[in-house]
Amino acid sequence: MKRRDFLKTTTAVSAAYVIGFYIPTKSRASETKKDEKALQPNAFVEITPDNNINFIVGQVEMGQGTYTTLAMCIAEELNVDWKNINIVPAKIAPVYYSVFGPLMITGGSSSVFSKQLEMRKIGAAVNEMLIKAAAKKWKVRTYDVYTKDSKVFNKKTKESFKFGDLVSDLSTMKVPTNPKIKELKDCKFVGKPHSRHPKEMWEKVTGKAEFGIDVRVPNMKYAAVYHPTIFGAKVKSYDASKALKKDGVIKVKQIPSGIAVIAEHWWIAKEALLDIDVVWDKDEFKNTSDKQLNTQYSKAMEKHGASMRKDGDSKKAFETADKTIEAEYDFPFLAHAPMEPLGVVVHHEKNKATVWSSSQSQTMALKAISKVLGVKGENITYNTPYLGGAFGRRGTINLDFILDGAYVSKDEDFPIMTLWTREDDIKMGNYRPKYKNKVKVALDKHGDITAFDAKVASQSIFKGSPFAAFGFKNGVDGAQKEGLVDHPYDIDSHDMQAFTMDSEIPVLWWRSVGHTQSAPTVEGIVDEAAFAAGVDPIEYRINMLKDHRFITILKDVAKKANWENRKKEKNVGYGVAIHESFGTICAQIAKVRVTKDDFKVEKVWASVDCGFAFNPQNVKNQIAGSINFGIAALKYSEITINNGEATQNNFYDYKVSRISDAPEIEINIINSGEKIGGIGEPGVPPILAAVPNALFDATAKRYHSMPIKIG
Amino acid sequence: MSFKIKINDKNYNLDINPDTPLLWVLRDHLNLTGTKFGCGVGQCGACTVLLDDEAVRACQTPISTVGNKKITTIETKTDKTVQKLQKFWVKEDVVQCGYCQSGQIMNAASLVKTNPNPSEEEIIKAMDGNICRCGTYNKIKTAIKAATAEV
Repeated sequence: MKRRDFLKTTTAVSAAYVIGFYIPTKSRASETKKDEKALQPNAFVEITPDNNINFIVGQVEMGQGTYTTLAMCIAEELNVDWKNINIVPAKIAPVYYSVFGPLMITGGSSSVFSKQLEMRKIGAAVNEMLIKAAAKKWKVRTYDVYTKDSKVFNKKTKESFKFGDLVSDLSTMKVPTNPKIKELKDCKFVGKPHSRHPKEMWEKVTGKAEFGIDVRVPNMKYAAVYHPTIFGAKVKSYDASKALKKDGVIKVKQIPSGIAVIAEHWWIAKEALLDIDVVWDKDEFKNTSDKQLNTQYSKAMEKHGASMRKDGDSKKAFETADKTIEAEYDFPFLAHAPMEPLGVVVHHEKNKATVWSSSQSQTMALKAISKVLGVKGENITYNTPYLGGAFGRRGTINLDFILDGAYVSKDEDFPIMTLWTREDDIKMGNYRPKYKNKVKVALDKHGDITAFDAKVASQSIFKGSPFAAFGFKNGVDGAQKEGLVDHPYDIDSHDMQAFTMDSEIPVLWWRSVGHTQSAPTVEGIVDEAAFAAGVDPIEYRINMLKDHRFITILKDVAKKANWENRKKEKNVGYGVAIHESFGTICAQIAKVRVTKDDFKVEKVWASVDCGFAFNPQNVKNQIAGSINFGIAALKYSEITINNGEATQNNFYDYKVSRISDAPEIEINIINSGEKIGGIGEPGVPPILAAVPNALFDATAKRYHSMPIKIG
Repeated sequence: MSFKIKINDKNYNLDINPDTPLLWVLRDHLNLTGTKFGCGVGQCGACTVLLDDEAVRACQTPISTVGNKKITTIETKTDKTVQKLQKFWVKEDVVQCGYCQSGQIMNAASLVKTNPNPSEEEIIKAMDGNICRCGTYNKIKTAIKAATAEV
């Protein structure tokens, strides 16, 4: 068997193979306005005459630690007084565009790997300029000058300048086109564990941090929206006369998604929704249910689907197989449920507007608002507060909550915060798609897998979206194939097909996107094959893996978990999984304890290779958080559909993991020095397989559906 | 109806619908936005504040039920327990998105005030009503343990 290259998947959130970066150029330097007192080399570093140093970041901070890690990249080269810098969200400009195309968007675990080199070069460029400027002033050679703590020092005379003292000198200088940067291995700041930037941390533990929901502008009003519970339903007629009589209610208006109440305070608006009678036009979709969808999916899968991967001779392999293992996996719709409910503040003033939006894509939000208001994008001031969690939800393709805010504020005289309830968040869709995966593997007489066939049925995330050109090709959704067609195992034959289902329920990327279905599928069936072959599941994987990075971290996690000497205990099981996503490989071993009708993940060992960990502490925080996020999907979370609507409403029936569910977690980072991967998502996929595999070890029963029900 | 309430040692006079939940009084009437809205039904703990030393869900506390009890929120500048927890939250690098952390800290403050040396089990039991979607639970445990271990 030959090693084969990984097939590249092309979803918008995982397509970052090309590390996009800009080298500062002359033309970019000339963009700096000469009349501005503040120096802005390439709009990433701002130094003011009174020595305020701002690092401007185009990525949004939604918990993933990007502000801190990208600022660390600049600070590696530009020797600032770290605790006193400010990290400032960028305005919308092409210079901040993402690797996914001409738009600002944060997702796909892409921020650090796509921006780190540019940030380091910008830091180095500014540092070089400061040294040159000071050397000229002191009439000394540049190697007699160094920078430290936001100051430039003269080695000989011990004199110093604050960076801010040199602003006017810098403004006449050219930005170096190719500044020297340190090799990663020689970095002193990057690569070492750091907490969140102290300013962000302090704001967030004292309640001072401004999230989208905390925006307060003079004369601001609040809106709540009465949405249909049945997907696709529209307002036929409504009566708001009772609501309008309530104290504090300013206006009731129909918007495309439902009926909005604008009031002096949000609670008044929300309560007034109860006094509105709406007749919905909903006959068309009221029959949609999980039962009906399951039938529809199964029926579709009886036919031949769109090919995702076909090689070797899988038909023959199954005909001549010593053993065949089949499994059908069912993964439900999932809501993201970020802790901060969805909302946006829009102030429409005739030909201009001001927006405070906690969207993952500033550009997409701006375009949507611009279109609704009829105000040109350049006349909209766009502000980015902190995001209270996102997990993909605030990168909404259909822009639902953003559009609500735009329609509510259109032609009103005052700024309005349109804020969704938790129920809106749970019931309005944009879910991780429901997946039905039918897979089978053929084993030869040695127990080796000779063929791997798969059928994946789900709605497409990308079809019909602005990302369709690369996210939906030849009838295959990027999220159906990622992590599946490019699995790491050396198997000769494949026949993998995709089935695109349709419904009125909007679907969306959810932390780690298609890997949420491919990891439990691939790592589940491989685990079953190992058991059928009578081989230790780690040894079995290592025998089939060719990429040394996978083998290294699998061996590492086995060692850390003391796998070979794990204690056999009644009702206790151990399971392993390894998965690559967003350029990062993560292996996990889960220890579970099963009771009569429940289970607890007691401990998880994780090994992760993201090429190089820019902030190892944040890498560990993200992996631990991902494990707890995944446990919610394993144990509790599901959106079920009945009579055309989501059955769940709020956290009492859309359950998520709590502190009592959190396992003990041990994480080891391996800096392989290979291509840099992401870290916000890659911890999720392996836990979704390691736990079911551990449950098999404990119960001798395979669990193919989530959430997992014991007993 | 008019109410006199005391928040973080400061007195406020309000003329307001008595059914208004304390959460919205804090956030929308007084612009004390550190206390967060998460679910509106007392299921997530993001809106936790102290009434005297007891943790309550502000979204389930009508302003008319507050009475003479003193309200402490994350914005307090004098509550020693809250300050100590904030210090250890920083030290242990607990925060990710940070949205739930006001509620986590206030809930932990109530625990520590009534039980200065909670066991792991007691911490888990007390904190199980506070959701963190970023999954910072392990660090929350560590921070509470470290804060209560410090003499």
